[in-house]
Amino acid sequence: MRPTDRQYLKSHEWCKIENGIATIGISDHAVSHLSDLVFLDLPAKGASVTIGESFGEIESVKAVSSLYSPVTGEVVDTNKELPDNLEWLGQDAFAKSWMIKVKVSSKSPDLIDSKAYDAHCQAEG
Amino acid sequence: MILRLLVDPPAPAAWNMAVDEAMLTLGNDPTLRLYSWAPYAVSLGYFQRAADFADLPAGTTIVRRLTGGGAIHHGDELTFSLALDATLLPPSVAESYVLLHDAVVGTLAELGIPSERVAAGHGQSPRPADRWCFASAGRDDLITPRGKLLGSAQRRIQQPRPRVLHHGSLVLQRPSLTPFVAAIADARHTDALLPELRTRLATNLARALELELVPGELTAAERALAAHLQVARYENPAFVQLR
Repeated sequence: MRPTDRQYLKSHEWCKIENGIATIGISDHAVSHLSDLVFLDLPAKGASVTIGESFGEIESVKAVSSLYSPVTGEVVDTNKELPDNLEWLGQDAFAKSWMIKVKVSSKSPDLIDSKAYDAHCQAEG
Repeated sequence: MILRLLVDPPAPAAWNMAVDEAMLTLGNDPTLRLYSWAPYAVSLGYFQRAADFADLPAGTTIVRRLTGGGAIHHGDELTFSLALDATLLPPSVAESYVLLHDAVVGTLAELGIPSERVAAGHGQSPRPADRWCFASAGRDDLITPRGKLLGSAQRRIQQPRPRVLHHGSLVLQRPSLTPFVAAIADARHTDALLPELRTRLATNLARALELELVPGELTAAERALAAHLQVARYENPAFVQLR
């Protein structure tokens, strides 16, 4: 069962906001569809991210996929160890595999709860 | 639903990549584009480092792709790109490769060219050690006894809606910079083969996708965006040197 303490985008990013800081990553569903992960590109601390726009890219053996921001704000931290430890995403997409932390100016109206996201993943296959 | 078919003349690398991105971004109908390269060029995978190719012969045209994977020397080959909504493909990346590569295997078999898709568990490690796409074959790649015959890569976007750009490079004659690749010429003379190869490949891909193949053209908007991207991105040294 996916964590209920956060929200999700239908593009498979998750977002947990606490004290105005959003911790963002990608879901297990995204990871399972990408298979063998090889590269990850994340923004630097201080970069701006915008709702609905790409904040990074991830490459599996077979595809480069854009990662979309669920919030607008400033990046205050990046998981620097993750690009060299992409196997963490397959082990646990929701804890140590967080990607960026953002000081939130606004959040996307498209964020959905875990129940709605589970239903979306089921429908998507 | 239709599969729009574009059959384009040989074109410069930057134009080819720009058209493919325009199709991905603006396309409505699923589109299959068949094309080739003039002059011959090297394309880098999106995450590759340009510095790793500093040893290429002076004057080599180099372009960076939106799609991933390794570098390809595009010489005498049939290149195809597919731009379509992700819902028209199986849900996982791996399954989409099985679908598309099986269509290519079937096409080649019809032409008397043996090939097969690498079985699961027999491929290379996830992060290839070699800079060239064709240097080794991974799971679901297309091979002959000589080596890898088809270079494939994808780009997946979610905005404005989930869409996929799939690139495929089917080698006709072995390119000079990558003499280790397999080529269709290993099995058949390629001079008169190309028209039939294009027709059969398009038919089989359309059948695999369960779409009706219909000849078409770029829209004015796609053409305008491609012209902009050719200059702003693909001819821009900053993009080639992105990494």
